[in-house]
Amino acid sequence: MEPRPQGAEEAHRLEMTGIAKSYGAVRAIRSGELRVRPGTVHALVGENGAGKSTLIKILAGAEQPDSGEIRIDGRPVGVGSTAAAIDLGVATVYQEPQLFPDLTVAENVFLGRELRRRGQVDWVAQNARVVELLELIGLPARYATAPVRDLSIAEQQQVSIAKALGGEARILILDEPSAILTDSEIEVLFGVVRRLVATGVSVVYISHRLDELFTIASEVTVMRDGETVGSYAIEDLTVRRLVELMVGGTPVEATGRRDVPDVPPLLRLEGVSSGDRLTELDLAVRPGEVVTLYGLVGCGAADAAEVVYGIRRASAGRVLLDGAPVAPRSPRHARALGIGLLPSDRKRQGSFSFQSISFNIAAGNLPLLSRAGVWVDRRRERQVAREAIARFSVKTPHERQPISSMSGGNAQKVVLARQLVERPRVLVLAEPTQGVDVGAKEEIHRIVRGIADEGSAVLVVTTDLGEAIRLSDRLVVLRAGRAVAEFAPGASQADVLAAAAGDTADRAVPA
Amino acid sequence: MSVPSPARSRGREGASASSGRVLPFPVTGQELVLLGVIAALWLVLGLATPAFLTSGSLVPLLVSTAPIALVGLGVTVVIISGGIDVSVGSIVMVCAAVTATAMTAGDVPLVLALLLSVAVGGALGLVNGVLVAYGRVHAIIITFGTLNIFRYVGLQVFDGSTVDGIPATLAVFGRGEAGRTAGVPHSFLLVVILALAAWVALRHTAGGRHYYAIGGDAHAARLAGVAVRPRVLLAYVLTGLLTGLAACFVIAQGTSTLAPNVGLGLELSAIAAVVIGGTSITGGRGSVLGTVLGALLVQTVASGIIQLGWPSQLSSLFIGVFIIVAVGVDLLRQRGRSSS
Repeated sequence: MEPRPQGAEEAHRLEMTGIAKSYGAVRAIRSGELRVRPGTVHALVGENGAGKSTLIKILAGAEQPDSGEIRIDGRPVGVGSTAAAIDLGVATVYQEPQLFPDLTVAENVFLGRELRRRGQVDWVAQNARVVELLELIGLPARYATAPVRDLSIAEQQQVSIAKALGGEARILILDEPSAILTDSEIEVLFGVVRRLVATGVSVVYISHRLDELFTIASEVTVMRDGETVGSYAIEDLTVRRLVELMVGGTPVEATGRRDVPDVPPLLRLEGVSSGDRLTELDLAVRPGEVVTLYGLVGCGAADAAEVVYGIRRASAGRVLLDGAPVAPRSPRHARALGIGLLPSDRKRQGSFSFQSISFNIAAGNLPLLSRAGVWVDRRRERQVAREAIARFSVKTPHERQPISSMSGGNAQKVVLARQLVERPRVLVLAEPTQGVDVGAKEEIHRIVRGIADEGSAVLVVTTDLGEAIRLSDRLVVLRAGRAVAEFAPGASQADVLAAAAGDTADRAVPA
Repeated sequence: MSVPSPARSRGREGASASSGRVLPFPVTGQELVLLGVIAALWLVLGLATPAFLTSGSLVPLLVSTAPIALVGLGVTVVIISGGIDVSVGSIVMVCAAVTATAMTAGDVPLVLALLLSVAVGGALGLVNGVLVAYGRVHAIIITFGTLNIFRYVGLQVFDGSTVDGIPATLAVFGRGEAGRTAGVPHSFLLVVILALAAWVALRHTAGGRHYYAIGGDAHAARLAGVAVRPRVLLAYVLTGLLTGLAACFVIAQGTSTLAPNVGLGLELSAIAAVVIGGTSITGGRGSVLGTVLGALLVQTVASGIIQLGWPSQLSSLFIGVFIIVAVGVDLLRQRGRSSS
């Protein structure tokens, strides 16, 4: 890993040109370009769905491009597999550390490529090499034989980097490394990155926290809608300019600002905090209003939803319903108060996958659908399921279809229907359209607005910028656990994203 | 969903046409297959040994099926909820020991003997339920622990010897003439009645349906507003109560002497019945009717092998094969479902 002289303009460590990739009818990348110089940190930014993950997967050998060329140090290469990528010196560190908690750091670093001597693992050589790596990334040498379980998340991430470097990497891809780290941990990470760059490694750095790019990166490549917009020297940009490049010129059509009745708020949060993840959030949602909490992953919006639904206790502050303080103890208690939740991660939290549609809709509403609260009224249960299927245009032959056989959008509608059997006074929706196709997304948005029109107070938590703007009557941006800006319908994507990503200049338009 | 919609009228028409079920497992599939297998076995056994299809052979078969099926009912609910209870054999031992000892000590009427046994079983089930529902340890560990603890308690009651001279108070559930009406053993009849009640409760009451939700995904059930822990607790108490009743059957079927090995290994027979009956060991799916049929199949095999004069250890082989086939069929069905 010798530092290379910064040579002519063409001396790129990595050149990806004319990359295209489709998944069926979806064109993930139409024309992807990425050029990275040796020994530099090159940021790759773009909104969700802009194509940056696909581009990275192609580089890491996890996906094969339909067309295009990849050159490393000027030589055209084929990255046919993740193993091929590692042989070429391309190492990837994913967001969540992918380590085995009960194995030691050394065992983790060499897992799958153990150093051997006469058929046995050469522990001495392995540990010696790990100590070198630990030194490089700034962890104490004694960590070599410590179980990964005993390390902090930040340290685990450093170990992941060490693991990636174990194969003599020339190009290190860091996929949103800072999303799960605290500010001081990010400083440590940057120290590691700088040390690596000094040894000649090229780092491709993906992040949604745009402000931090100005600290760590020297160049930025921006992607939008499957195309590379361009590459820029970081000193030529501001957060504001970067955001504009990311979102382009097309405004999102806001469908919010229907006539929200001017009545006192139904749901109020007063100074609600949750550990160090959410700090003193004030929020008010009126009946008939859709309020969105938008922010990047880890901004605290999800925690706010969990407090309202009784999954998480507020460490400070209070939740008021109709002016009366309530402290939801459990989801069951929240439901009794008239609060409904559409959980994020439908597969894990929302649905009973091998059960039928009607089972899934009835779950949690059974006392309501039962005579004397005990005896399930099967006819009503079926009828409710059929009505939901018709009302939300769920595509299914009949209500007995198991939910596991349905598409994401249809399954999401079923889980949503469960919350609407009895109209909730407050409906909390967490990432309501994650993993859902465009058509179903539109329909779900329409359903959500319909619920508000019927008089429910709707709180949406999302990391989807377009959704936040399209759906909201009022949009509150969270950053690092604090509300930083509020927008009326029709706000520009650039303004909202800039606020979420940490533009220091205050451009928020008061609602 | 107060909005009137076209589905309502369509729904009415459809109700008569469709079977109108909500759960994807009515009395079809595994239960019908089991019924067929049992019928075939009985037919083959009847042809091979003409004595098999007589009451002298069938009554003992049904009587010996009863305690396993009864314990299996409770274990089915527990397994549907995503848990397991391996301590039921020890619960039978404690209940039988306490009840038999009480009966030898004084003149205990039938009802009191039953209540005593069921109460002891319920108390032990409560111990399991509290630990499983409110502890953060998997049910197999908890009930494996209580299996040993309960066994210790039972051995204390036996105090190193057998319980002798048990009066015939419970003969109404025994193998003898007193134990049947019109040729049908009371114990088996009671099991069938309780199984039907459990079947209806699991399918048609809100509380029963919650077990399927909890076993399918406890976290999702919690988010849907199900009171998960009280529900789970109740499943173990219920199992304890049923196991207490099963202990009375065991006393009634034995001689006037009760040995400390009573109930030993019963949990394995019960779990075998549950699994062969089509209940998914990972929870969320299953039926108590399948369990009764599973227990009947297990006992038919054991009894048939004796009738045929084959070596009795063959029954272990057959039961083992049935378990693996049943689980294999379950896996294939799941795979078929997920690929469709």
